[in-house]
Amino acid sequence: MSRKRGSKLDEKGNTMIQALFSSIKKKIPLLLLVGIVIGLIISYASYEAITRTATPDFCVVCHEMAPMRASYDQDIHGGAGKTGIRVNCVECHLPHNNLFNYVFTKAKNGVSEVGLHFFGTVGTIDWQKNREKRAEFVYDEGCIKCHTNYAMNEKLKPKALEMHKHYNALLNTDKQIGCASCHAEIGHKGLNNMLNFYKPEHKLYEQGSAREKQKIDEKLYGK
Amino acid sequence: MKRIFAFIGVFFLSLVFLWANDKVANSDANNSEVAQVINETPELKNKYPIKPHHQQLSLNCIHCHKGQGDNPEQLEAIGDEGCLSCHGSKKKIAARTGYMDLFHTNPHNSYHDGPTLSCDECHKEHQPSQNRCVECHEKEVPNWMKKVTL
Repeated sequence: MSRKRGSKLDEKGNTMIQALFSSIKKKIPLLLLVGIVIGLIISYASYEAITRTATPDFCVVCHEMAPMRASYDQDIHGGAGKTGIRVNCVECHLPHNNLFNYVFTKAKNGVSEVGLHFFGTVGTIDWQKNREKRAEFVYDEGCIKCHTNYAMNEKLKPKALEMHKHYNALLNTDKQIGCASCHAEIGHKGLNNMLNFYKPEHKLYEQGSAREKQKIDEKLYGK
Repeated sequence: MKRIFAFIGVFFLSLVFLWANDKVANSDANNSEVAQVINETPELKNKYPIKPHHQQLSLNCIHCHKGQGDNPEQLEAIGDEGCLSCHGSKKKIAARTGYMDLFHTNPHNSYHDGPTLSCDECHKEHQPSQNRCVECHEKEVPNWMKKVTL
């Protein structure tokens, strides 16, 4: 008895689902099209949001890094080259392997940086120590996006070519290194000097450094 | 209706192509060549230790002593030219520690010698390095710069 009733109910349910399906079926192409359009709109909006917040001028609003900005400005990657072309911070300092990783890292950095900016523990940061971990916050995908043939460019010096092949051989091993492991001041020409002007490592240079710092600040922020 | 289907089909097909292209581009990025061979035993590494920043890069004997044969006991010092094949030029190195020019105490661009000293006056790869400025300026040097560890 109960089984019969159950099967009756099942049948009723089945026909309902079938009806639902057939009504949806006719609209599938339309739904897909609407979905794609909505998807494209969202992609465009996020593209705009991501690119408009990717310029050095945006980054320095919160990121505490006058020495980094000043050294970037005198590097070929920061517009000091003959052509004046600049590479944005995010090209090297955010991962480009996939969009989610990019957005996630950006958001994570942003939150911690806003905290640092407004609750001021900036003075305690040991920049020179952080530089030792530079291969972790310089993402090689960014470099390779432009320097595509780094491992086979015959116009490179032989030693450079040899070392770039060495880099390739270490890829995906536990000894993997980054571009910045060797190219220590890349993108920030004179970073060691700038950091010392802002926070002298030796007392002897304090006066001279203060003068240099003032000059740099004037250049960066105006008078 | 057919057109819409075709449009959607092309859209997804192009996505598949993009994905496949990415896979191919990533797959052939890995190759390196093998040359001159020196068996780097732990004993050998103990006898000829290298500096930590070179260790970190997994450099081996041959990276510096290229073309000097397979016998580790017969390898020769590589001189400034060897160091500079990676480190660029003496001027470039002097610029790296340029903040010390404020007091004319930049060891790579010194008051006495400018950017002309030989690297191994101070920096030794397989022995502890030593600061040559100390020979005359024993008391001042600790105020001028860090200890030479590299």
